[in-house]
Amino acid sequence: MNFSEIDVAIIGSGPAGMAAAIKAKEEGAEHVLILERQEQLGGLLHQCVHNGFGLFYFGQDLTGPEYAHRFAEKVRDLGIEVLLETMVTQISPDRKLTAVNSREGPLHLLPKSIVLAMGCRERSRGQLNVPGTRPAGIFTAGTAQRFVNVEGLIPGKRVVILGSGDIGMIMARRLTLEGAEVRAVVEILPYVGGLTRNEVQCLHDFHTPLLLEHTVTEIHGEQRVEAVSIAKVDKDKRPINGTEQMIACDTLLLSVGLIPENELSRMAGVELDPLTGGPIVDQFRETNVSGIFAGGNVVHVHDLVDDVSWEAEIAGASAAQFARKEKLEKRRRIILKPGRNIRCVVPQAVSAQNDVILYARVKDMEENVQLKVGDIFAQSLRVVKPGEMLKVNLSHSQLSQLKEDIVEQIIECERRRYDG
Amino acid sequence: MVEEKIICIGCPLGCETTLKIDDQGEVVKIIGYKCKEGQQYVLEEYRSPVRVFTATVLTENSSRSLLPVRTNRPILKTKLMEAARALVSTRAKPPVRVGQIILANLLNTGTNVVATDDLFD
Amino acid sequence: MAHMETEVLIIGGGVLGAAAARELSRYKVDVILVEKEADFGWGSTKANMCIVCQGGDTLEFRPEYHRSKLVWDSMPLMEPLCQELDVPFKRVGEFTLIRNNEELGKFQKLKSRAEKLGMNSHKFLDQETLRQMEPNITREAIGALFDPNIAIVDPVRLTIALIENAGQNGVKVMRETEVLGISQKVNQFEVETNQGWIQCRFIVNAAGTSVDKIARLVNSDDFVLYPIRGYVGILDKNLGGLIEHEIHMRPDVPGQMNILTPSVHGNLFFGTTMQPAKRGDYSTTRRIAEIGMQNVRKIVPDISVKDIIHSFAGFLMFRNWEVGWHECVVQSSRKVPRFISLCIGYPGVSAAPATAREVVELLRREGLTLEGNPRFSPYTKAAPIFSELSVEQQKEWIAKDSRYGHVVCRCEAVTEGEIIEAIRHGATTLDGIKFRTRAGMGRCQGGFCTPRAVKILSRDLGVKEEKITKKGRESRLLLHRSKELIEAQI
Repeated sequence: MNFSEIDVAIIGSGPAGMAAAIKAKEEGAEHVLILERQEQLGGLLHQCVHNGFGLFYFGQDLTGPEYAHRFAEKVRDLGIEVLLETMVTQISPDRKLTAVNSREGPLHLLPKSIVLAMGCRERSRGQLNVPGTRPAGIFTAGTAQRFVNVEGLIPGKRVVILGSGDIGMIMARRLTLEGAEVRAVVEILPYVGGLTRNEVQCLHDFHTPLLLEHTVTEIHGEQRVEAVSIAKVDKDKRPINGTEQMIACDTLLLSVGLIPENELSRMAGVELDPLTGGPIVDQFRETNVSGIFAGGNVVHVHDLVDDVSWEAEIAGASAAQFARKEKLEKRRRIILKPGRNIRCVVPQAVSAQNDVILYARVKDMEENVQLKVGDIFAQSLRVVKPGEMLKVNLSHSQLSQLKEDIVEQIIECERRRYDG
Repeated sequence: MVEEKIICIGCPLGCETTLKIDDQGEVVKIIGYKCKEGQQYVLEEYRSPVRVFTATVLTENSSRSLLPVRTNRPILKTKLMEAARALVSTRAKPPVRVGQIILANLLNTGTNVVATDDLFD
Repeated sequence: MAHMETEVLIIGGGVLGAAAARELSRYKVDVILVEKEADFGWGSTKANMCIVCQGGDTLEFRPEYHRSKLVWDSMPLMEPLCQELDVPFKRVGEFTLIRNNEELGKFQKLKSRAEKLGMNSHKFLDQETLRQMEPNITREAIGALFDPNIAIVDPVRLTIALIENAGQNGVKVMRETEVLGISQKVNQFEVETNQGWIQCRFIVNAAGTSVDKIARLVNSDDFVLYPIRGYVGILDKNLGGLIEHEIHMRPDVPGQMNILTPSVHGNLFFGTTMQPAKRGDYSTTRRIAEIGMQNVRKIVPDISVKDIIHSFAGFLMFRNWEVGWHECVVQSSRKVPRFISLCIGYPGVSAAPATAREVVELLRREGLTLEGNPRFSPYTKAAPIFSELSVEQQKEWIAKDSRYGHVVCRCEAVTEGEIIEAIRHGATTLDGIKFRTRAGMGRCQGGFCTPRAVKILSRDLGVKEEKITKKGRESRLLLHRSKELIEAQI
C-alpha cells in the first residue's frame, strides 16, 4: 500500500465513510484510503440487524448488514484502499494524520484531503447523572445492541429502557424477540424521541409499556441492577413528588441521545457548532479547515441512513475536487441561523450557485406550522417533531434572489394563522 | 360506521391515516396517506398486519458467534415470537453468502429466512 | 479448606493496608494481605479527590492531633515513593480563594498559626496575580492563599503499585478474600476467611469502612467511626486546561466542601458535600448533584452540567465526628495484644507513607522482630502507557507484541496489549481493567470498549463471557447467552 500519495483519506467506514469513498473515487480521486477501527467495513451497520435501511437510497427495504454489503462490494470493486483495525489517534490542522494498527504500527500520513466520517457516540449514565448506585447491568442501547447482535450475549432478562430514541425502541423489540421482558420504555417527553414507525413496530406490536412524561429517578442494586425508581415529570421535566414507583429489573438500557464524535475534529482545529455538536460546514461539507470535509452523523445526527450516505457523498465529491486542486466555487457565504423552534440546521452556510438541501431539527413538537427560510422559502407542515429531521430544498434561483449584501437567513417555524 | 387510526409504517414518514369502516368491517375510505404504496400498506395493515422478521442465528465452526438473518418477505405480525422460537436450533455454517437460505419455509408461511451478511470463516 | 500460616496478617488492600504491606516487606517478616474485593483500592481509596495534602490541611493543622502529625511526616515521603513505584505525582499547588475581607482575615490568622508551627510555604496572591495564574476562575475572588506544595496522584495506581512492590518483596497477597471471624488463641490469632483459615501472630486491621466491624470480631473496637459520604464529579478532558492548580473555596454551607482540581490524567475533578450517610450506601442523589454543580460553578462559572462524564460517592470514616474535629485511628488495641487498627478518615492517601512506618513501629512494640530484608527493592516499574510512548517506543512495543497496535479504548487510546498486561498483573474484572489501564474512563464511559474488553478478559482468563463481572462477586455483566431465554419459553 502506498501511503505517500493519498488523495482522499476517509475516517470511518460506516454508511458515511463508504459512501464518501465511493463518490470520491467516482469523481476521479485516484488514491482513496479508508481508515476503519473495527475488523470489517460497515461501522455500526453490522450490529443493526433490523430493516428500514435504503428505502430511499436503493428503493429497497434492507437490513443494516445488507446495506453495508452493497457499499462494501462497491468499495472493493473500485479498488479503494482500506485499513481495518486501524485507529486514527490524531489529526493536525495541516492535515497530518496519525494512526496505529497491529500490522503497520504507528502511521504518519499526509493526505491531500480528509473526510471526517466518525459518526457518534451515545450519551452515558455518567453524563445523565441518573441518581442511585453504580451496579453492573447499565448499558447504553448501542452497546447492548453490539452484545446482543454480534457477540451473542444478552444483558439481562428484565429490562427497563430509559429514552425512546430509535436505538432504544429497536432494542426493546430485539430483546423481546430474544426472550427478555422489556418492562417499560420510559420517556421524559410527551412523545417518543425516535421515528413514529418505530413506536408502532417496536413497542405497540409487542405491547411493551411506554411511559411518556416519565423518567428514571434512581437506580437500585449494589452489585447488579435490582430495580429502578421512576416518576412522572412536570412540564419542566422535573420529577413530581409522590408519583414515584419502583420497577424491578436486572438491566437498564439508556437511549438518551447521540453525540457526534468530534475529538479528532477538535484536534484538527475544526470549528464545531454547539447546536449540533458537529463541524460547521457549508454545502460542500467543507469545514473551516481547508481540505477537511465531514459528512454523516459526525456532522449532525440523522434519522435515516440514506441521508447519511447522501450527505457523505457530497463530502467525498468535494474532497476529491479539492485533492485535484480544483477550487470549490463559493461565490458568497450566507449563514443560516436557527430561529423560532429550530434547534439546528446543516449546512450552516451556503453559497448561492447551486441547489442545496437544508437539514433542520425542531426543538419541540408543534402542529400546523410554516417552515420558512427568510422570505425565499415557505412550506406548511401539519406536524413537526424533534425526532424527525426536516428537509428543505432550496434551488439556486431561490438563493440568487437574495441581494448581494445579505449574509444571513433565518430558518424558523412560524405558527400558521388560519383564515376563517 | 367506525373509524380506526393506523400509522403507516411503509416508510419512515409514518403518516397518520384514518380508516372509515362500515358495519360489515369493510374499509370504505382512507384519508391521510401520502402515496399509493401507503394507501395499500394501511389497507393491508388493517386486514392482515405483516412484518419483516429480522433476527440472528447461532453459528457453528465460525469465529463469529452470530449470523444476522431476515425473512425475504413479511410474515404475519402475530407470528413474530413464534418465528423467534423457530430459529433457536438453527445453525449457520460457513461459507454463507448474503441472501442464502438459512431456513426454508419458516412456519409454513412460504417465506424463507435468508442471511443478511456473508459468513466466510 | 486451605490453612495458611503467617506472622502478620494485613486485612484490607486499600492505600493504608498496601502501604503497610510494602513497608513490612523491607523486613524479613512473613506477611499475608487479604482483600475482600477482586482488586485493590476499591473502597475509599478509589473514591476521593486524589489530592495529596502537604503538611495536612495546613490551615487547620493541629499538632496535638495524631492525624496531622502523620500527614506532616508523610510530606517529604510521597513524591519519592511515587518515583520509586513509577506512578504519577504532580505538584499542582493549591489556591484557597478569598472572596471578601472576612475570609482574608480568617486566612491571615490561620497562615500565621501555620507559620508558628513551621509551615512556611503559604503566600497570599493579589487579584491580578491570581487572574494571571488562573484566568478562568470566578471574578468574585479578590485574591488567594497559595500553597505550592499540594500535589495530585492516582491513588488506585499507587495502591496497586504498593501491592506489586510488596509482592515482589515477598508479601503474599490474596484477593476476593473476606475475613469472617477471628479467634484469639495464646500468642496467635486464627482468622477465618472465605478462602480458608489463616493463623497469624499479628493483625493489621486496615479494613477501611469495615475497620470497626473487624475490630469487633476481637472485641477491640475502642473507637467510634462515623461514615461520612462525599460526592465527586469528573469533568470531560476537554476542560482540562481550564485550571492549572487545585482550587479550593470555603463552602458557604457547613458540611460541604468546594474543590475543583486537575487530575493526573487530564480531567478535572470536583468534590462537594460531606454528610453522614448509611455505611455502604454509595448512591448519589439529584440534590447532591445539583449542589455539586452549583458549587463548582462558583469557582469556574463556565462549567455546566453537560461537562460531567461521571460521578460517584465515597466514604470517609471519621472518628469523633460529633466533637467537630475528627481524629484518625492508628493504634494498637488496648484490649487485645498484637492487634493494630488503622483508619484515617481524611486525608488517608496523603498520610499513607508515614502511617505505614508507624504501623511497623507499633508492631515492633507489640513484639515483632524486625530484621532487614536483604532482597528488598523499593522499585517497581509501571506497565507501559502506549499513548504516552514516543513513536520509536511504540514501534518497539508493537514489534514485541502486535496487540499494542490494536487500540481498544478510543477515548483514552488504550491498546489491547495494555489490557492484556493488566490481566497479567492480576485484573480479572472490567473495573480492574478500568482502574489499571483507564479503558472505560473516557467520555464515552465504556460504550465502545466494553464489548471488546469483555472478550479479551474472557479469552485471556479462559472463562465464558457470561462469567465476566464488573467488579467481582455478583456483578456479572451479561446474564444470558443468545437464544437461552427464548429457548426457555419453548
